[in-house]
Amino acid sequence: MVFFNLWSVLQWYLRPFIKWFLRKTTKLCELQRICYGDRAGAERTCNIEKSLMLSRTRDVKEVVSFLDSIVKERRFISSQFHQILDPSINIILRVKKINPKLHDAFVPSFRRSLQQIWSYRQLVDEIEDLRRTQFDSNNLDHEDKLLKLWDLLVPNNPLEARVTKEWQYIGFQGDDPKTDFRGMGLLGLENLLYFASEYPEVSSHVLSHSRHPKYGYTFAIVGINLTSMAYYLLKDGSAKTYMFNAKQYLPCINLFHKFYCYLFYEFDKLWIESKPENIMEFSVIFKKFENAIHTELADPASVFRINIEVDTI
Amino acid sequence: MMGLLSILKKLRSNPEKELRLLLLGLDNAGKTTILRQLASEDVSHVTPTAGFNIKSVLSNGFKLNVWDIGGQRKIRPYWRNYFENTDILIYVVDCSDHQRLEETSLELTELLQDDKLRGVPLLVYANKQDLASALPASEVAQLLGLHLIRDRTWQIQACVATDGTGIKEGMEWVCKNMPTKK
Repeated sequence: MVFFNLWSVLQWYLRPFIKWFLRKTTKLCELQRICYGDRAGAERTCNIEKSLMLSRTRDVKEVVSFLDSIVKERRFISSQFHQILDPSINIILRVKKINPKLHDAFVPSFRRSLQQIWSYRQLVDEIEDLRRTQFDSNNLDHEDKLLKLWDLLVPNNPLEARVTKEWQYIGFQGDDPKTDFRGMGLLGLENLLYFASEYPEVSSHVLSHSRHPKYGYTFAIVGINLTSMAYYLLKDGSAKTYMFNAKQYLPCINLFHKFYCYLFYEFDKLWIESKPENIMEFSVIFKKFENAIHTELADPASVFRINIEVDTI
Repeated sequence: MMGLLSILKKLRSNPEKELRLLLLGLDNAGKTTILRQLASEDVSHVTPTAGFNIKSVLSNGFKLNVWDIGGQRKIRPYWRNYFENTDILIYVVDCSDHQRLEETSLELTELLQDDKLRGVPLLVYANKQDLASALPASEVAQLLGLHLIRDRTWQIQACVATDGTGIKEGMEWVCKNMPTKK
């Protein structure tokens, strides 16, 4: 602990000298070295973020707090990117004395990183909003979503009533799912709904595993616990690896849902492979799963996708 | 939650170092929230318990092992696996869930008839007293038939698990009624 503190103090004092030395020898500023040297994706974007956050230059700090304020107002959306980012990028170019004509590769790659960093920050707020929204059975929209979840997971078999034991078929606890969302609120339902609607084959495959006579588990309840896991990974920044390595998307709610679907698919795989005695092994296997995902996310080169291989057990 | 710490300190007077508390009740009664309150953790992100949770609350070398077992019907058959060596049984009731008061009463009756739980002191938390529809603890006691219990000491404690109201008082009772081990 003492050593660690000493090291961070040393770093604080040494960082400017190291940066100065590298700048003189490479003729590039730190942001350029990152953009040219680090692989696109989590590695580059996380280092850009770190560099910006550690900066002691007033103009850079102002750019950071300006972008944060945009996120606070939820205005960091793609149609506004040019308007929002161009002035910020110009400030950085000026402060760091980068000639965009000479360094034409820098601006697009730096811009992409800025988009990723602040989309992620905005996503954290948006997900928090969804989580805080309690499932409300007086809200028609919430009710519609719940019923749609049933129709997607159990097509051709309409619910006999709104309150019925049938809900247990898809792994809710009792005869009314409304009390099962708890601390994850609407986010838990939206996650399940996305899984069922965007990955119909995978989700019905996973649901059938959960109905397995020996290795069965409660699909929806496990799903809500996975929502909680995904939520914490997003909040503590671990999910950046996943989000920044997604080439086609910027961090957004749908990408969060995709992350959740990936977790669900992988958890199901691990659960079945573990051949658990019964549902009471959930805590142990879930912990093991969390550790494995943490390890994967700790490697910035990790790329995640659902490998669809629908097996039969 | 400072008060809780001081009670746990009092537990020191008992030389035995470990105590096993078992938290049971129907799903959505508030068991995990109580568990988190005991461990002074955040209670706003609770999810339904698949399987069980366990937390050890440490205080001055005293170890309180609290087992929180999922309450849904599918899991209840596994409750028995956790009965052994239980020092205190804590049963949690959602007092606003009128429809399932009978169900929770039946489950409790069954628990109290089990050999492995014979003589184990019982604390009932009458939870969710902050909700307008919640029955008062006295009425819940009546419905659960607590006054008919002869073979153990018991107590009912009104509480609001989400803000911690009443939890401390329940634990105070636990301290006073801790079984003296052989």
